[in-house]
Amino acid sequence: MDHWRSNGPAGPVDQWHSHRTMSAFLKQIKATGFDAIDTFDFRIWQMYGDYGGPAKYQEMVRDHGLERIVNTFHAADYDVRNYAPHLPETHENILEDFRVTMGRWSEIELDNIIVMPATLYYDMEPITEDKIKYTAECWNKVGEITAGFGVRLTCHHEFFCGIQSEPDLETFYSHTDDRYVSLFVDTAQHCIASVDPVAFYRRHAHRVSGFHFKDTRDVATGDDHRHRPDSEIMAPTTGKWFHEMGTPHGLVDFEAMMTAVRDNGYRGWISVEHDKANKEGGDYSESTAISRWYAKNVLEEIYR
Amino acid sequence: MSAIRWSYAINQWKPQFDDFVRREQHERALKTLSIAGFEGVELTYGTGRWEPLGNPQQLAANFGSVAGFGDFLRSCAVDAVSSWYWDPAERSMEDLTGPLSPLAEADAPAIAQRAGVLAGALAELGGSVLLVRPVPGAGDVEPLDDDALDRVAACWDAAGRATAEHGVRLALHVDFLSALRRDHVPRLVDRTDPALVGLALDTGELTAGGIDPLGVIAAYGDRIAHVQFKDALAVDDAEEYLQPHAHWTVRVRGGAREVPRWFAEPGADGGLVDFPAVTRALLDAGYSGWIVVESDQSPHPAASALLAGYLVQRELAPLVAEAVRA
Repeated sequence: MDHWRSNGPAGPVDQWHSHRTMSAFLKQIKATGFDAIDTFDFRIWQMYGDYGGPAKYQEMVRDHGLERIVNTFHAADYDVRNYAPHLPETHENILEDFRVTMGRWSEIELDNIIVMPATLYYDMEPITEDKIKYTAECWNKVGEITAGFGVRLTCHHEFFCGIQSEPDLETFYSHTDDRYVSLFVDTAQHCIASVDPVAFYRRHAHRVSGFHFKDTRDVATGDDHRHRPDSEIMAPTTGKWFHEMGTPHGLVDFEAMMTAVRDNGYRGWISVEHDKANKEGGDYSESTAISRWYAKNVLEEIYR
Repeated sequence: MSAIRWSYAINQWKPQFDDFVRREQHERALKTLSIAGFEGVELTYGTGRWEPLGNPQQLAANFGSVAGFGDFLRSCAVDAVSSWYWDPAERSMEDLTGPLSPLAEADAPAIAQRAGVLAGALAELGGSVLLVRPVPGAGDVEPLDDDALDRVAACWDAAGRATAEHGVRLALHVDFLSALRRDHVPRLVDRTDPALVGLALDTGELTAGGIDPLGVIAAYGDRIAHVQFKDALAVDDAEEYLQPHAHWTVRVRGGAREVPRWFAEPGADGGLVDFPAVTRALLDAGYSGWIVVESDQSPHPAASALLAGYLVQRELAPLVAEAVRA
């Protein structure tokens, strides 16, 4: 996944800083044995500006021995005034966004476009069945649009979004059409939200179109999931929610997860994510290495 | 038939004496170099309780035994300690000894004994080469005359005999500050027994010293017992290596120019070494054994290891494979 920071002469930079930093990023991803990358949707502007578009950028990815871009994460700026899936009056705006977005990406082959399917928790609460139903209707329509471009619409439930508790997740999936709305299991996010990612995956394996394998050492408590203005990096209980797979004291049972993936005969990509790995002294290169080491030496022994 | 194995030097993770002392740090570093494609690790000698990987006594203190460290290595998917770098001028707190000098005839037995101990541990850990700093820095000793070179050669022949008892080769590692820099290298190597003493080719040190590694391979290919691949970002063309205490004033502080970083991982921006050419020359010379990749120091050790791993996997290892096929 796209998150990355490295040390530039003037301070930390991301991989999109220059062609040189992008090359260094891709080399490190390749050196550890990953086969492909995911990216954020908003990076498309840098792909156009610096590389000539997604296809040209993907050529650079391939020049570094990687296969392609597999998924893009549509990190929308939710706003209850004009862009909120639980508010039907904003749906047309959302649909139009995806019509345009999918057109921009159409020059390369993507497996999934990933979304956080609900607004921030505090913008949606109280969470009611009606709101979840409106949200599901929205994504059913979006999924139909993305399917027209050969791309699956898949939902990634952050612990701080409006649909993250187990009952609400079940309600949401009961109202979505599995032809158009898939599930993208983020192991850490579910753990933080007190949802067992393995059991959740086993219940919905037939509609899972991908994974973010990352770990956490903390379960959200109190108002962590609805902390204003931000839960992800401003919650008072921890300064770092996410850790790389293989971290000591991690709460995700990756061996059980991989066993479940094997038992369900999953065929497809598993994305490894280091979300904000640099917080509290972390290091993206090292997290990439440690997680890939874990995948090779532990998980691939279970299912390759 | 080439039998080249790739290893990585762990010294870049320890910029200061109180860094890199905890088990979890070692574990992360070893897993990082393992997943970058390296099957071995090179250790650097150190002494005292903040050097857990510095010598056999500290390995035992931290891992129960040398074999216990071997188990730890394998738990990180690293097969072996390829090699150990030792400068006898480093004191030993474990043995209560001060610096030893290969120029002093009286120190030669202790040097040979210590080399044997290191070689014994190395053999237990799957390694095959003990690298030594053969003489002090150029600015810290009188110019080496024939008598001095004879004493040094006798010292390392004896040490090589001690390491050979464990099946370990002794290799002279000539760095860019060495009193052997330039024409003294042949004068020493020619005085040693080829069966006991080899040469370590360090691409970065040679280049920083203004010496072309390709020339060394051409002249001494049959004596090369060990290879270190690191890049050089600057050359000591003002011969500052002749100054006293250049280890600090030149290597660490950067000399008059305050060179921020003499060395980097192979393929780094601004690197002066042509690694594909060196690899081809080693293959042509029939070299087999470990190639230890290193950065020496790095502001970002994990990134250095991964970038080096990329170069090895995508460019250098294929050259070796191609030579094997041919």
